[in-house]
Amino acid sequence: MTRVTDDIIIRTVARVLIPFIQLYALYVIMHGHHSPGGGFQGGVIFGASFILYLLTHGLEEAKARMSEMKAGLFSSFGLLIYSGIGLLCLIMGSNYLDYGRLSTILRVIPAQARSLGILGVEIGVGIAVMAVMFSIFFDIATGGEPPGGEESFGDRDG
Amino acid sequence: MEVTILVQATDKAFEILEKARNDARELLYSSAKLTSETRSLEERRKARDFLSGAQRSRLTLRNFAITSVLLFAFWIILSARFDAFHLTLGIICSLLVAYLSHDLLFSNIRLGDARVRARRFFAAAPWFLGQIFSANLHVAYLALSPKMPVDPQIIRFKTKLESDISWVALANSITLTPGTITVDIREGEFFVHALDRKVAYDLSTGEMEDRIAHVLMEADHIYIQDVLDVARIFGALK
Repeated sequence: MTRVTDDIIIRTVARVLIPFIQLYALYVIMHGHHSPGGGFQGGVIFGASFILYLLTHGLEEAKARMSEMKAGLFSSFGLLIYSGIGLLCLIMGSNYLDYGRLSTILRVIPAQARSLGILGVEIGVGIAVMAVMFSIFFDIATGGEPPGGEESFGDRDG
Repeated sequence: MEVTILVQATDKAFEILEKARNDARELLYSSAKLTSETRSLEERRKARDFLSGAQRSRLTLRNFAITSVLLFAFWIILSARFDAFHLTLGIICSLLVAYLSHDLLFSNIRLGDARVRARRFFAAAPWFLGQIFSANLHVAYLALSPKMPVDPQIIRFKTKLESDISWVALANSITLTPGTITVDIREGEFFVHALDRKVAYDLSTGEMEDRIAHVLMEADHIYIQDVLDVARIFGALK
């Protein structure tokens, strides 16, 4: 599972498709407040693109692109965006995640502030979900080895 | 006595062969510099070493630019919102994805002209469509005729294409043509399931392969095996 696949068709098609999958994921996140989709769905698609890369190009190359350490940082960062926006609303003297109050900072009408606020939250959710999806798969693929542990755990059959 | 002579002769022959091989490699290096075309994996790695740091970064920049433009076009198709806010989001997202994966879409070193490839692609498209159309008719005939004269077989052939993208283009063209399906590719050897003798014959003429080689600009390429063969013959003659 964690080795490089020897099927040239799968590897090449994955290589060509991954950028488009990632852009589609961002599209789903960014248009979540207008159309079906949102942070969770887009984050899952983005995570799936990394998982596809891991499946087709092997663990070592996937680690060079997205290490477990980075995934951990990104998941915390996404959560920070989410809770940061929520707390900002709280500090401004409104309820948690009540974006209408952000209109004074963003200098727009409250309705637009709500739209931008939910977009920010979607981005935070998307980043967190993407990183968590990848790190869950990473843990399964490596058998739960700690990051930077044994040198040779890439050789093990997952 | 005879054994020693034989051993000496063999040694000599190996020496000549080795020298010929080295000559061939040098020849290949210079030809690689001249053609700057797609090469097999090993040659591609060597070709990358030919490029200086500035050339490599220019290539990376070019890949980055083309990838982000393609992705932005894809974004426009998906989003279909043309206000400044969404277009800005689109530009940011395309640049972000291009930053993350610009080395994926064009991971092969290709210095050939993309416009030539595009023109050749559109010139070759009618032939491929006609091929698919006639194969459709043939498979419909096979399926509808009462005797159903199918003769399923797996044929294998070694391809002369060299880059992974050409292999995939050929494999998918074969699969797209009704009656034939690419089962596997193993080290340049294609395993194709064909529905009857006619489609197998059509495939074995290699016309599709030639056309893909032409579109993806592999035809003008000097093959390492050819150069080695020539060098071996020269070495033996000497």
